[in-house]
Amino acid sequence: MLLLKLAFRNIFRQRRRSLLTALSLGGGYILCVFSFSLSEGSYNSAISFFILDHTGHIQIHQDDYLLRPKIHKTIDDPQGLSELLDANDEIISHTLRVFAPAIAYSDTDNAPARVIGVALERERSTSTLAVKISAGVYIDDTLDAEGYYSAMIGAGIANNLNIGLDDELILISQGADGSIANDIYIVRAIVGDRTSPDRATVFLPLIAAQEFLSMVDSVHEISILLQDDGAARSVATSLQEQLPELSVAPWQVVESTFYQSMQADKQGNVFFMGFIIFIVFIGVLNTVLMSVLERTREFGVLKAIGSRPFKIALMITCETSLLASLSLIAGLLVSVPFTAWFSAVGFELAEPMNIGGIVMSHMTGEMSLYVFGAPLLLIIFFAIIISIPAGIRAARISPTEAMRSH
Amino acid sequence: MTAVISTFEVCRYFGDDQETMVKAVDRVSIEIERGEFTAIVGPSGSGKTTLLHLLGGLDNPTSGSVELSGTNIADMSGATLSDFRRDHIGFIFQSYNLIPVFSAEENIEYIMLLQGVDASERKRRVADMLQQVGLEGLGNRRPNKLSGGQQQRVAIARAMVSRPQIILADEPTANLDSKNGIALLDLMKELNQQSKMTFVFSTHDEKIMSRASRLIHMHDGEIELDELR
Repeated sequence: MLLLKLAFRNIFRQRRRSLLTALSLGGGYILCVFSFSLSEGSYNSAISFFILDHTGHIQIHQDDYLLRPKIHKTIDDPQGLSELLDANDEIISHTLRVFAPAIAYSDTDNAPARVIGVALERERSTSTLAVKISAGVYIDDTLDAEGYYSAMIGAGIANNLNIGLDDELILISQGADGSIANDIYIVRAIVGDRTSPDRATVFLPLIAAQEFLSMVDSVHEISILLQDDGAARSVATSLQEQLPELSVAPWQVVESTFYQSMQADKQGNVFFMGFIIFIVFIGVLNTVLMSVLERTREFGVLKAIGSRPFKIALMITCETSLLASLSLIAGLLVSVPFTAWFSAVGFELAEPMNIGGIVMSHMTGEMSLYVFGAPLLLIIFFAIIISIPAGIRAARISPTEAMRSH
Repeated sequence: MTAVISTFEVCRYFGDDQETMVKAVDRVSIEIERGEFTAIVGPSGSGKTTLLHLLGGLDNPTSGSVELSGTNIADMSGATLSDFRRDHIGFIFQSYNLIPVFSAEENIEYIMLLQGVDASERKRRVADMLQQVGLEGLGNRRPNKLSGGQQQRVAIARAMVSRPQIILADEPTANLDSKNGIALLDLMKELNQQSKMTFVFSTHDEKIMSRASRLIHMHDGEIELDELR
């Protein structure tokens, strides 16, 4: 306790110098928190975007469909699986999908297309497909008076085929049984614009796509939305144990390229911030060494009356850590409200930014334990590290030589 | 009588070159008995301070031995020597050397904290020492709020509170005026007689040395005269 008291009072011996040191430490902390908040916020926005756009938190496929998609790699009892997923409290919703490449025709043109059959009502509560409609209405899975199913098409297909709402669309593909698949659909909605990722996609009701591709009741993919963003891996592991014959993958595996580049970028950010803090601490080291130099005589006296060298070194570490802690408290007082505003309101970017293939024009920060805790640990770590050489210097002071100094 | 501290042929030389080597202490052998009030006297540069540093384990001799109650402290180093000084030797310095950010009470208490004395005992002994050195009511003052004489009294209390076997004082009155210097020496003498604690101090002040019961005269690092009074 007396050691802490001594450390505390020593900090306030040179108030101006301590204040300047605290300002550089506190400023470094605020900068780190802002950088971490920005990085985490950007990536979390990107993650939220593609999770809600199409990926979901977890996907279920047959075998290695994710790596090598084939029309015959199907989940054959999707209804039974749906009942299992509906009973799971951690799952908000899930949807069933089938995929196939096709050629789309209008009266005058043709274009390659990606056909996705979706369970319309489940899709509405699992992904943002419904809100991406730029013209027309979200379709249903009933046949119209002339016996045609409805389709929603990407704006790129609409443009290439020169068709619009209520026009006919002809699709030709290969069925799961090897037959030639072809059918006519009526366009009831346009999805996104000509730059959207869905620009070359044709969305069909699940039943229509299953009929078109001769897939009976089977599907290629089940996409799951969870209550808790952070539970993807644990829920996926649990589901995998229940469904050993299928492949259950969290979004980190489904979007592995994005996830790995995100992790690499985050590590780079931590390294960069560590470097900035290291630079700040070179200044702090100078302050601490000056403080030791000025108190040479005092350390000599402490050693003479019986303080162990380790205790002297510990006192220096204690002083540096205490100064760092006080700076961090001040840094927290500034950064918490600022980060709260940044995560709630954010700001518009002058130019849209591409993060992992997702274009963002509005930036918001993240407010989490990691954002505040990681820089805090980094600064405490460096405070202890830089106090070591100063502590060793103080501990090695010879009492007789110290007594001669002024 | 048993010797509290003794040296045998102790030398402390500075410098390696024979021509420039300074023999600060040269082949000094002394024995100091329990309860003595001894002054080491001599002009500046005679080796008084170096001898005190050797007696207190603050410096290592070039050769010879220094024994405190039968333990040779000349070979000790690091934490062992720190612990030995803490438990067996009290120091009083010429320029007081109190910790400026501690109050008088805390300066006295600090050494007991190092010894692991419990809080209530520390408090009791601090109050007792303040009363003995005549500083009751001034315990919460920091050194810069005390006069030179008062600071040196705190230093005496700090040196005595750990109940060492010997107290070494390096020119304790040098920074005080003669009135305060004599008063301080009288206090040290009184404490010596009350507690039977051994005091060894250096001085070159005639008035101060007259208070000592034994005078060890030094000149050029050697003992010139050792007289009992």
